[in-house]
Amino acid sequence: MKYVVLMASLPPLGSLFEAATPPISRLKLESRLGLLDAPDLHTLEQIANLIAWPSQPLERTDAVFIQEAHSFLASNRNRTLGSLVTHRLDMRTIVAALRRRRRGEAQPPTGEVWGFGEWVGLIERNWSAPTFKLEVIFPWVRQAHDLLEKDDLIGFEKLQFTVVWAMLNRLGAGHAFDFEALIIYLARWSLVSRWSCYKGDAAVARFRELVDAGLGSHKELFSGASQ
Amino acid sequence: MNNDTSILVLGWIGIYAPVSLAAIGASIGCTTAGQAAIGAMMEVSSGYGRFVGLSALPSSMSIYGIVVMFILNRPVTPANSGGLFGIGLLSGLAFLMAAIYQGLCCASAISGSKAKPEIFGLSLAPAAIVEGFAVFAFVFALVAAGGIPK
Repeated sequence: MKYVVLMASLPPLGSLFEAATPPISRLKLESRLGLLDAPDLHTLEQIANLIAWPSQPLERTDAVFIQEAHSFLASNRNRTLGSLVTHRLDMRTIVAALRRRRRGEAQPPTGEVWGFGEWVGLIERNWSAPTFKLEVIFPWVRQAHDLLEKDDLIGFEKLQFTVVWAMLNRLGAGHAFDFEALIIYLARWSLVSRWSCYKGDAAVARFRELVDAGLGSHKELFSGASQ
Repeated sequence: MNNDTSILVLGWIGIYAPVSLAAIGASIGCTTAGQAAIGAMMEVSSGYGRFVGLSALPSSMSIYGIVVMFILNRPVTPANSGGLFGIGLLSGLAFLMAAIYQGLCCASAISGSKAKPEIFGLSLAPAAIVEGFAVFAFVFALVAAGGIPK
């Protein structure tokens, strides 16, 4: 029943790409999570370690990561949370394969554990196919491939966010005041938080500032040369 | 325990079932909605009263249960205990489930209206509809009880 208190105390997140800032700060959110008991916090930490990509430590190898994923899924009895983790890791595997191929790897990795799940074999067998022949199961792979071909990395990132958001909406159906609802809320909050940090215009302005500062007195020299 | 005694026990269960099951359901429903009200109060800075008031809505089921119990209450005989058991138990189950689900409706209404206070009235509609189903069970329990021998 603690989930009812917790879920009712969290503000709605709204649409994915609309919020300028998350409706609740990380500090406040972590304070609210204090209502959870130790086993729930442990499960939450396990899931976060598996699906929170930006916070992965560099020294954690793919093999260790996949071992932890199998260990979690073997011990987890919750189908919704299992689907959430499996879907995110499938997506991570496909994105990793797309990126490896983009950086010039003509053959799938050999002698190393590089992906998770049931689609690794299919991806390796169809490494040269644009979508690894996965477009029926994962329709977004075609679009992801096209975006990478065009070097549209922002569009690629946005597509991943959109796919995950839709998956979370689907998994969240029927869960309003339970642990699954909380995990899905936190996953969605993470997306909103990350996206709201991506400020393209501010990044461009900052880049120009740094370039101007770096050029210093040579700025006029270069501007004169271009005339 | 002979057959007559067993049948009489069923009759007594039927008389008390509506109030006991409705009270259980109302407790669960009010707890669910009440916890949502507490959660919402952590997020908003006004309008606490209406959240608490809404969280008490499932308690109406226990009132229906009490009324049905009074209507069914009579000397239990082998002739009327089957009817008492059927009407009492089934109406009690209806109140139990209605109270639990009404509590969830109220929790959702509280959770939704904390962010958009203007939808408070409309958000009560699901809880009101569940109340309507409980009223069906209540009214027809009274009607059916009229056919049970005194």
